[in-house]
Amino acid sequence: MNQKPGKGSAYGWLLQRITGIFLAFFLILHFQVLHFTARWKIDFDLVTQRLESTGWVIFYLIFVPAGFFHAFNGAWQVIHDYRPKSRTQKAVKSLLWILGIALSAYGYYLIVTFTKGA
Amino acid sequence: MYQSKSGFFKKYVDEVGLNPNVGTWSWFLHRITGVILVLYLFMHFFVLGSSLAGGETFNKWLSTVQNPVFHFLEIGLAAVVAFHLLNGLRITITDFFLATKAHKAIFWIAMIIFLILMIITLVVFLPRIFSPH
Repeated sequence: MNQKPGKGSAYGWLLQRITGIFLAFFLILHFQVLHFTARWKIDFDLVTQRLESTGWVIFYLIFVPAGFFHAFNGAWQVIHDYRPKSRTQKAVKSLLWILGIALSAYGYYLIVTFTKGA
Repeated sequence: MYQSKSGFFKKYVDEVGLNPNVGTWSWFLHRITGVILVLYLFMHFFVLGSSLAGGETFNKWLSTVQNPVFHFLEIGLAAVVAFHLLNGLRITITDFFLATKAHKAIFWIAMIIFLILMIITLVVFLPRIFSPH
């Protein structure tokens, strides 16, 4: 065992469940709006029209970081099960945090792009 | 669970082989669907990113991913999302309400909801595969 006992925390476990509950509702709404009620062809105008509403902007501002946190925290749990050496653990954790923050920032930038419209 | 130190994939074969029960299978499927969704998220944001080049480029990409083949794949995506979502809620309920003894029953309730959701999905998506826009 490379991992020292007692060094872990339950924040990852708890946040995975909290973001999961949020994502469950958000994803159902996301599918409902884009695949069930929307017209068959989704295009740029359909997205920019929706992003005119403040409610939808707030929706995406929460959806994007919650999604990336859940995705990369989940990926971390998968990697952690292979019990990497503690130095590797630190490197992988840092990499996943950088990826998550960078992609969330990218997502926010895209929200701004869609808000501005064509 | 999580005891096997064998190879990258063999680890999973060992886990399921050692304890071929509802709990292990759902853990296995939760992991597979989770990995698929992380990979999908990258593709999703790649397509969304084309909007930076303007509405026309974005629409070109959207046409590429809105044909019968992709509508068929979307049924698979819906199945992956529905399983991960419902089994995730099962795990959360089991953890938060200390309902370990009920985890198998909750799993089968989740699977009944899964089947209902998939029937609704098929009713909506199948016409899109077989009729042109």
